[in-house]
Amino acid sequence: MGNERKIYNEFLLKHASVNSRRHFLKNCTLGIGGLALGNFLAGCSVDKKGLSDSGRSLNPLAPLPPPNLGKVKSVIYLHMVGAPSQLELFDYKPELQKLHNKPCPESLLKGKKFAFIEGVPKMLGPQAEFRKAGESGNWVSSNLPYFNTIIDEVSFLKAVHTDQFNHGPAQLFMHTGSPRLGRPSIGSWATYGLGSENQDLPGFMVLTSGGGTPDGGKSLWGSGFLPSVYQGVQCRSKGDPVLYLSDPKGISRDLKRDLITSINEINSDEYKSYKDPEILTRISQYEMAYRMQIAVPEVMNINDEPESVKELYGVTPGEESFANNCLLARKLVSKGVRFVQLYDWGWDSHGDLEETALDLGFKTKCKEIDRPIAALILDLKRLGLLEETLIVWGGEFGRTPMQENRSGVQNAFFGRDHHGDAFTMWMAGGGIKKGVVHGETDEFGYKPVSGRVSVHDIQATILHLLGFDHEKFTYDFQGRPFRLTDVEGEIIQEILA
Amino acid sequence: MKNIILKRVYRTFHEHFFVIIMTSFTLISCHQRKEIDFNSQIKPIINNKCIACHGGVKQNAGFSFLFEQQALGNTDEGSPAIIPGDSKRSRLIQRLLEKDPELRMPYEKPALSKEEIGLFIEWIDQGAKWGTHWAYIPPTKSEIPQVDESFDEKEFLKNPIDNFIAAKMEDQKLKPNRKANINILARRVAIDLTGLPPKGDLFENFINGVITYENYVDSLLKSKRYGEKWASWWLDLARYADSRGYEGDGDRIIWKYRDWVINTLNEDLPFDKFAIEQLAGDLFENPTADNYIATAFHRNSMNNDEGGTNNEEFRTAAIIDRVNTTFDVFQSTTMSCVQCHAHPYDPIRHDDYYKLFAFFNNTQDSDQPVDESPVYMTYNKPEESKINKVLDWIKAYGNSETHKRYKNLFYKYEPQYQANLAGDFINATLINKNNSLFLRNNGSAILKNVYTKENSRIIIHYHSDSPGSIVKIREGSSNGRILTEFTVPVMNWKEKGDSWRPELLNLPFKKVADKVDLYIEAFDPIKDAREFKPNSSGVIGLDQAKPLVFLNWFSFVPDIPGKGKKGYSKIKKYVNEILNANDIVKTPIMLENEDYHKRSTYVFDRGNWLQPTTKVSAGVPEILNSWNKDWKMNRLGLAQWIVDKDNSLTSRTIVNRIWNQIFGRGIVSTIEDMGTQSEPPSHPALLDWMSVHFIKEQNWSLKGLIRSIVLSGTYQQSSIINEKNYQKDPQNVFYSRGPKLRLKAEEVRDQALAVSGLLSSKMGGPAVKPPSPKGLGKHRYAGDTWIDSEGEDRYRRAVYTYSKRTIPYPSFVVFDAGTREVCMVNRISTNTPLQALITMNDPVYVEAAYHLAKSQIDNKNIEDAIKAIYKKATYKNINNFKLESLVNLYNNAIIQYENDPQSLKDFLNIEDTNKHHAGLTIVANAIMNLDEFLTHA
Repeated sequence: MGNERKIYNEFLLKHASVNSRRHFLKNCTLGIGGLALGNFLAGCSVDKKGLSDSGRSLNPLAPLPPPNLGKVKSVIYLHMVGAPSQLELFDYKPELQKLHNKPCPESLLKGKKFAFIEGVPKMLGPQAEFRKAGESGNWVSSNLPYFNTIIDEVSFLKAVHTDQFNHGPAQLFMHTGSPRLGRPSIGSWATYGLGSENQDLPGFMVLTSGGGTPDGGKSLWGSGFLPSVYQGVQCRSKGDPVLYLSDPKGISRDLKRDLITSINEINSDEYKSYKDPEILTRISQYEMAYRMQIAVPEVMNINDEPESVKELYGVTPGEESFANNCLLARKLVSKGVRFVQLYDWGWDSHGDLEETALDLGFKTKCKEIDRPIAALILDLKRLGLLEETLIVWGGEFGRTPMQENRSGVQNAFFGRDHHGDAFTMWMAGGGIKKGVVHGETDEFGYKPVSGRVSVHDIQATILHLLGFDHEKFTYDFQGRPFRLTDVEGEIIQEILA
Repeated sequence: MKNIILKRVYRTFHEHFFVIIMTSFTLISCHQRKEIDFNSQIKPIINNKCIACHGGVKQNAGFSFLFEQQALGNTDEGSPAIIPGDSKRSRLIQRLLEKDPELRMPYEKPALSKEEIGLFIEWIDQGAKWGTHWAYIPPTKSEIPQVDESFDEKEFLKNPIDNFIAAKMEDQKLKPNRKANINILARRVAIDLTGLPPKGDLFENFINGVITYENYVDSLLKSKRYGEKWASWWLDLARYADSRGYEGDGDRIIWKYRDWVINTLNEDLPFDKFAIEQLAGDLFENPTADNYIATAFHRNSMNNDEGGTNNEEFRTAAIIDRVNTTFDVFQSTTMSCVQCHAHPYDPIRHDDYYKLFAFFNNTQDSDQPVDESPVYMTYNKPEESKINKVLDWIKAYGNSETHKRYKNLFYKYEPQYQANLAGDFINATLINKNNSLFLRNNGSAILKNVYTKENSRIIIHYHSDSPGSIVKIREGSSNGRILTEFTVPVMNWKEKGDSWRPELLNLPFKKVADKVDLYIEAFDPIKDAREFKPNSSGVIGLDQAKPLVFLNWFSFVPDIPGKGKKGYSKIKKYVNEILNANDIVKTPIMLENEDYHKRSTYVFDRGNWLQPTTKVSAGVPEILNSWNKDWKMNRLGLAQWIVDKDNSLTSRTIVNRIWNQIFGRGIVSTIEDMGTQSEPPSHPALLDWMSVHFIKEQNWSLKGLIRSIVLSGTYQQSSIINEKNYQKDPQNVFYSRGPKLRLKAEEVRDQALAVSGLLSSKMGGPAVKPPSPKGLGKHRYAGDTWIDSEGEDRYRRAVYTYSKRTIPYPSFVVFDAGTREVCMVNRISTNTPLQALITMNDPVYVEAAYHLAKSQIDNKNIEDAIKAIYKKATYKNINNFKLESLVNLYNNAIIQYENDPQSLKDFLNIEDTNKHHAGLTIVANAIMNLDEFLTHA
């Protein structure tokens, strides 16, 4: 079977009924107002003769039902780029305070590799107050005051581990299941498997904040060996939200409509002679492009949101901010976008500069995310969307209980080195237990004691909630079936409702 | 299968059934008698149903189908599961027929069908004859099939390719399409050969019958545009990019390799030589500059410059990438599967991977963040002439060894010792654990086991912002004899106010015969009088302890001979000028380690570099051609092995890939893989005929191969879909119509620039950065790295566009180009709304439309103007329906601009735009978005 057919071979054949050409006809007839569709519809009718294989060949993002009953329709993945310190947020370690400023016990260093620590570093006590919050009484630090209001919605994973301790590879591992490049990202797997519920918006959208793009680059939302149509579309806060979305100056919407009408008329005439179904696909893609030009700016516009909502998130319209992105994420999933990926830069708390100090820059970062995250969950709940949306929060790894001593000299500020053995992530939303803690670390937050889960476990769990068996959800490439979870991964049952 | 013993009790009971079932199978198979073919009948069942548990990854119950000896050998039960000639006693069959689900195979999966089991029984009874997968048997020149006269009548049979295609069509009861219209064919073949629509005069000559189709094709093949077009195909395979990848993704100066590919394709260097030079040009007896540059092929693997990364980890990752890429590119073999375990279904063993790894494991590059060593240096003319003068001088007064040493120093900075291999730090360490060695006041470090080979000069690649500091290198330890010492000067860049740049020092060095440990120390006589300001680029933690000097590498050379001769001091001055010359283009290349530096290669347990197990030496998989004793056991030998006539995969791979480029589908449709899980070839005899022909008759000429394909009748067919044929063959597997492909990312852009007259024909040189959206190139550390090129460089062919791995050029990715991070064998063509947004709204395309329209602004007859624009873009005459549609569009545009004069003023930000030009631009924009423009029909 050729590559061109592989796009839909996994699903389409099984779910052909849903993707009948009805979908295309619907698109034709409900197409943008005013489009001259006379000849164009003739194109659709040829479809009956079987020249087109299916809805998906016309629209690779046509929605598909998941193979199993999924719990959620959409995912909002909040990635804190640089790896936030679990020890100043969720993993409360009073014992660590007692060792503060004392040399690190040799037992913790033996056989260990660190990114920057050299020789014997000092231990660093938690640089935050902790309190129990909510009915669950789970721990959260004073860095996240708003988190109190949502803590009972959340399932914590306190003993996540990864085998990568450099940012680029660890981020790739977290998002593509492999620390090396070339694999599809989790969002592209999801859109490949499920398509998009909204044909006017991309199925997989990416928003960044914090002033930097992630170390792993665009491959974090790349489609790897999947067709490029499944890659994430990065939305920008300045300029066009999606590249080349706006019409060139001096071309009005009406004129653009006329332009597309003409393109599609001529293409349908071309179809009459060539009978190439790709031409029909092209016609529908130009329609979609036109609709996207309206739909994307509409959904990306937060100016017109009610003041109460703006206040809830703490947005600053026109700027690049995590708060804006949280509100946008909510808007996008409510419009049927399948996977929304947020990246917030600035969590690499080495303590080499003020902005990476745990008692300085880190606290600012916490302020930037705390209120918006609480708002996101409350807002989704208010709209009844929380039960069909999965929220995932985390970084690419965690941080050491030791104070970093780069080049063997203690860093200028309080900071921690990269650490992959144990760190905290959390999930909330559809299919997730409320107020649960799974996994525990030792008295320093250094090693897992119980409930250790891997990056592949997290990916398996996300896919499970979307309705996939991660072991069966494969794509044939280079003669073998590839999985997001490679050859590993177990669903984390302990946090599933 | 836990209850295996318990369950066995029941077996006798089941065996009653077994006999009955067996009898019925035997009856069925009596009718067949035909010999079962392992490859086509048995292996597909094994691959689909069995190999996941009984293959290279898992050998459950000690049974595997991967190799014949395993399949027929003893399993964990102590006896074989397959007994050739005796299906009744073969446990394989018993287990397939088993009723008990705990015992029946495939375990926990649906049972095999009666037919499938019947095939297994028949096969075993016939002796369980094993077969070699077709792709591992060298191709032989198949007989050219005779076909029905009707093909001749339709003028389909142009060359032998067509006979093979026609024979299959006959089988499928398909008829070929008529020949494509001449103008359509002219555009199609021009795009396929040069990536551009044809030039006007050439096109006219062809369609008016002045030149033949063959002449036309030959002119296109002769055009320099050919190399630029086909380079994109090769650069995908070579994962060529202008940046280093991973987090930092800084610039990599490797465009000379891209130019080498373009030029070499244009010169049509035979493919075997093309392959050998890239894999091992550095190992030739007297490599030329081009031979070295070619080896940059494998320096396209990525570097991880992120702070805190382990250089050896990412050096290993690069070697793994090179092994995988070599097999992806030349062998259509998914060697990457074998990194962690034996191949799941192809007969390749786990240690085979590391035997191949050993070929690549001794190159000098080592994921250094400092520079790309080893590099090949290309100098400006004045420096080049100085080099010649110095080398001539040495030839006249010195020996050949000195000559070689200096030549290697000038062109390759080699041999060199990386300073970051030092240890025993006191007040010293490496930047970010992987970068330069730096020494603080009273700091020291030891670089062990250095062979200075009695050389009397040391070259030091260093950087410092502490002039006046003193650096000494001692023999062995702190009280060893001083081998060299220097006072840090004010560096040139600082004096000139340039940006930071390391420099080279050329110092006398005491001769040492044996290998020596270099004890390196630094101190600051001015004492704390200066401040080191850490910058935000990650050089951090240094402010508390000022580094005096950063050291990158050392090299050793003899003195320049001819002391006392006239001109000696001038030559010595030249040496230093050469070493610190500006604007040297340093291209990363492959170079082998010296013998005393050789690394050993080990099998990595489960592919993990931290878990080496058995030591292995270089070798190739048994399943492929055998090793010729005349070949050296190095990369050069490996390259010769790859292009050896007995290698069954190389020529098939290239033929299949070129075919895929032209028809949009391979003869083996899984073009990345010809292993046992690949799709069987649609035209096996054609593939083999062409593969042999390619080596023997075409002498590995890519132009020859491409030429024969485009001259075939198969290629020249019309691509109009005939509904009858479409029903039988929707995917056009049997080629009853010509190819109609969406243009590739590069071609979409190049065509727009070409038809509008904007395209620059300038070839080669550093990558260019055509305008892209503001802020797109923003990098956290480096700022906005995308500075738009000026003038002609805005309109260069797409192949020259700067390829940044983490920030690929937007319109290319959207049109399915890759990011060049790893080898990309196949671009999957997609059709998306984002593509529509690009060609409608990206300023590149709007500007092109504006210029395309410009050619007709003096034409006041709207219809004529539109006809002309359409023809210029599509090489076709417009029909009335399309013309009417575009005239309507034009009129609507005019109405808009009349009703809203401001929008005319705003249009394209061009002041003097008149409404006629604007209207035609809208029309041109529409034309440049038509299917017929974006595809080649």
